[in-house]
Parts: sequence; C-alpha cells; structure tokens
Amino acid sequence: MNTEKLINCERKNFQKLIKFRLPHGFMTVGIAIVVLSIIGMCVRAFALEGDLLWLKQLLQKTLLVGMLVMSMSKDKVEDEMTITLRAQSYAIAFVVGVIYALVMPYVEYGVSNVVHSGGEAFKDLGDFQVLLFMLMIQLLFYHNLKRFR
Amino acid sequence: MENTIKVERAILNLTQDELAKKIGVSRQTINSIEANRYVPSTVLALKLSQLFKKPVNDFFKLNADDY
Repeated sequence: MNTEKLINCERKNFQKLIKFRLPHGFMTVGIAIVVLSIIGMCVRAFALEGDLLWLKQLLQKTLLVGMLVMSMSKDKVEDEMTITLRAQSYAIAFVVGVIYALVMPYVEYGVSNVVHSGGEAFKDLGDFQVLLFMLMIQLLFYHNLKRFR
Repeated sequence: MENTIKVERAILNLTQDELAKKIGVSRQTINSIEANRYVPSTVLALKLSQLFKKPVNDFFKLNADDY
C-alpha cells in the first residue's frame, strides 16, 4: 500500500468517525435512561436508607450516558442544516462549559461565605457537574437553535 | 445572500414540504433558506438548480453585505 492510499484510508476512517451518529430511535432510549436515572436518584435520596455512594455514582454515570445518547442521536430528518446547528450547539456548550468550570467555584465560594459566615472551603467542580452542565447546554441550545431556525 | 426560491417553488406549484422531500431536507430548512436565514451548501444549491432547471445564479444573488 503506497503512502497516498494510506492517507486516503485514514482520511476516510476519520470522516466516518466525525460523521458518526446514532439512529433517531436512540433518542427515546436516551430519554428513557435519563428519566430512569433521575427516578433512581430521587428514590436513593428520599426512600432508601444509608449513604449508598456506589448507587449515587452509578446513577450519575447512567444519567451522563443517557444524555450523551440523546446528544448523539440523529433527528427524524437529518440534513445539512441540522448538522450545522448541532456543530454550533457543541461549540457553544464547550465555551460555556469552560467558563462555567472557571467561574462557578468562585461563585459557590462567594455565595456560601455571604450566606454563612465562615462558609465552605474553596473547592473545584467535579467532573460530573461540568459534564452534566455541558450536555445540558448542548441539548438546550440545539433544541433552541432548531426552534428559531 | 438573497434568493427567489419562493418564486421558483410557486412556478412549479410546490409546497415547502414537497420541495423539501424532493431534495432530501426538512421543511424547516426550506423555510430558513427562503427567509434568508440559512445559506445552503453547494450540493443543495445544485440540487435546487437541477429541480428548477435553471442555473444557480438565477435564484441566488449576492447582496451588498456579501462584498
């Protein structure tokens, strides 16, 4: 295999990876996973006894997986405009997510010190909080961009 | 960029939905193109050109903001 063929093969595989989307039916699967995770979180918080940290972490992961599945599934009619809007929503989610991760710890620290004298110690955001926020922003912006197109 | 797709569509007596189905996009995309909120790709412009049997320049025009 010569170099040009190898480059073309890599380019094709790369394009395939970039264009990868789940079929539209996965949107329902994603929503179901998200709803079940939220119900599970409520049950764990209010009905089950004990700390059950493993269940909390498991439900956080399933919530993220559900939202990722929703984010990656195709629209009913997928065309170039929806692809553009999705790309825009990912770009916005990335920028807003970075700003959120940078600013939010200071906001939390400031608010907790204003509300309680002494307040909480300064702490960075966890990965779950940042990823959840980014996925939420992506899904909301994509929905809104489609509404106002 | 301005376009006269609405006029071309009326000449062929097509609804937005029918035109969308013919070129494989959603009705909302046709609506956005007609309202000049979305500039279609070359592929889509050529599909429209084929359907309207007219060159792309006949229904897509650059305006002053594009220069």
